[in-house]
Amino acid sequence: MSTIVSFKDVSLNFGGVKALNNVSFDIKEGSLHAIIGPNGAGKTSIFNCISGIYKPTSGHVEFKGENIGSLRPDEIANKGVARTFQNIELFENMTVLDNILIGAHRHIDYGSISGILFGPSVREKEIEARKIAEDIIDFLEIEEYRFSYILSLPYGIQKRVELARALAMKPEIILLDEPAAGMNNEETEDIARFILDIHEELKITTVLVDHDMNMVMDIAEDVIVMDFGQKLFDGIPKDAIHDKQVIEAYLGVSTDK
Amino acid sequence: MKGRPNLYTDYRKEIAILNTTTQKFWALIGLTLLIISSFFFSQYWMYLITTALLTAVAAWGLNIVSGFAGQISLAHGAFVGIGTYVSAVLGGVGSSYIRGYELDMLIWLPLAGIVPAIIGLIISPLAVRLKGLNLGLVTLGLVFIASYIFSNWNSVTGGSGIGRKTAKLKIFGIDFNDGFYAGSYHIEKDQFIFFLSLILFIFAGIGVKNLMRSKIGRAYAAIRDRDIAAEAIGINLYRFKASAFALSSFYAGVAGSLIFVMSGGVDPTQFNLVYSVTFIAIVIVGGAGTVLGPLFGAAFFSLIPGVIKYFLHFFGTTADQVPLHPTQIERLVFGLLLIGFLIFESRGLWGIWFRLRNYFKAWPFSY
Ligand SMILES: Nc1ncnc2c1ncn2[C@@H]1O[C@H](COP(=O)(O)OP(=O)(O)OP(=O)(O)O)[C@@H](O)[C@H]1O
Ligand SMILES: [Mg+2]
Repeated sequence: MSTIVSFKDVSLNFGGVKALNNVSFDIKEGSLHAIIGPNGAGKTSIFNCISGIYKPTSGHVEFKGENIGSLRPDEIANKGVARTFQNIELFENMTVLDNILIGAHRHIDYGSISGILFGPSVREKEIEARKIAEDIIDFLEIEEYRFSYILSLPYGIQKRVELARALAMKPEIILLDEPAAGMNNEETEDIARFILDIHEELKITTVLVDHDMNMVMDIAEDVIVMDFGQKLFDGIPKDAIHDKQVIEAYLGVSTDK
Repeated sequence: MKGRPNLYTDYRKEIAILNTTTQKFWALIGLTLLIISSFFFSQYWMYLITTALLTAVAAWGLNIVSGFAGQISLAHGAFVGIGTYVSAVLGGVGSSYIRGYELDMLIWLPLAGIVPAIIGLIISPLAVRLKGLNLGLVTLGLVFIASYIFSNWNSVTGGSGIGRKTAKLKIFGIDFNDGFYAGSYHIEKDQFIFFLSLILFIFAGIGVKNLMRSKIGRAYAAIRDRDIAAEAIGINLYRFKASAFALSSFYAGVAGSLIFVMSGGVDPTQFNLVYSVTFIAIVIVGGAGTVLGPLFGAAFFSLIPGVIKYFLHFFGTTADQVPLHPTQIERLVFGLLLIGFLIFESRGLWGIWFRLRNYFKAWPFSY
């Protein structure tokens, strides 16, 4: 399988803080890759470097072999990189449907002047976009919230809507930052099921950041373990739970007593 | 299996410009009343209402950039001024010291929008780099620059305190400056300008509504509410901030090309900071980010003078018997309202209308 995202000696500093310290890894096309690690390990920073919100202090990030270091976030998004945020970044004053339609932005092709005139071809394109949105609403089972405003929705549903908005981009890779954070068991199971569906049915490369090992160990094919900006482990989940460094990072104790 | 209870089977209907019968009904009633009553207005009210229509067009423009796209602009009045002078130079009468080419309205009307739009495009990179208060301050600088140019470019504006005449009305080479005959009925020049403004107003309103239901309006709102998320979705901030500024200036310029034509002359000191701020106040009092809001705000602001005059007359007082001048009362009333809305009803007049509408939902016309 070919590599879709590749980090080559990426470091990211904030003043004295090394959010990422010489991190290298490859994410294979079509994989379901997890990134785990304790608070402040640098997980979100990895996502921000991929989506171009932060630029690495040194090293470079490649998307399908191309160095994307000089691209703006919207240019990277338009290459097919979608993401969700750790703290939900939905458009709260809009409906679920409008949020999803904004996600479909890059697939609706007309300019500002056409928008003001709203001729027949614009109308057809809007209807087409609405169909994309409707498929996703169906896929994530949020029919009943279609016309609800985001602020009126429970947290778990908001997380799902953010996932829907990312899917509306029809991405090649989707980056999910703690999709199950703050959810109860039932909601977590739902989300895990949707993530598997996205990966298996829609065939989108999925990268998943999480704090806790459990869900990740169940569904991920590969896992990267981060701690203090450094990559501790990169391999299959089964091996991660036996890795000495990983156990130390998580339990804060030495394993060889 | 769950059904899709809320699913419109016809998306076409859902995205229609006026998607309920009530909306169509009231739009039609409003327009009909306006047109019929225009035959009975005094010249004074004709002037006020025409000003209201054109002010609404300009306010819609500000609403595009500030209400929809969230980019504060204190320079909107300056763009209205640019439109005024493009039309005055191209369509007005020249002399040895003032430029004027007496061209057809079909030339100066579009250009009065296009020239400000291009200037809007040129300054839009400022909006990409700056946000909030900083952008406000820079646009404040633009008003001062524009005021300075307007006051000193005598061959275009006539200079401060002197001013110049506005564009003449010539369409397809036909002169409408002394009114014209529709059959045996003589349409006055003022009524003609009123109709022109009404047509412009209708197209401008349709344009705004279209923008809001299109991907462009959604992209503006996305940038306004969360620019980082918008970028991560693939929305080019440069492009859409630029287009918002350009469209907004286009609206300002087109409105400006006609707004002083009825009074016939314009002084460059007109386009000062207060004038720009007035548009912000109109959008806020009306309800920012909505289609109807700026219309309410503009109507309110432009008609207050008439209403105050009417009340003074009604109570048998003349202007010099009250301690305040009518324009002072206007400012006072509008200022108090502005503060009131900011504190109590951030959705402006639109918000009040919205609540009233919901209150009367039981009414036969509600769907
Ligand atoms: N914009 C920023 N400015 C300064 N420091 C930052 C910034 N973003 C991240 N950091 C720092 O970089 C380090 C890594 O942060 P990051 O958000 O990537 O961690 P994380 O693994 O996602 O943590 P969490 O599990 O808490 O979300 C932390 O020490 C954090 O304080
Ligand atoms: Mg994080």
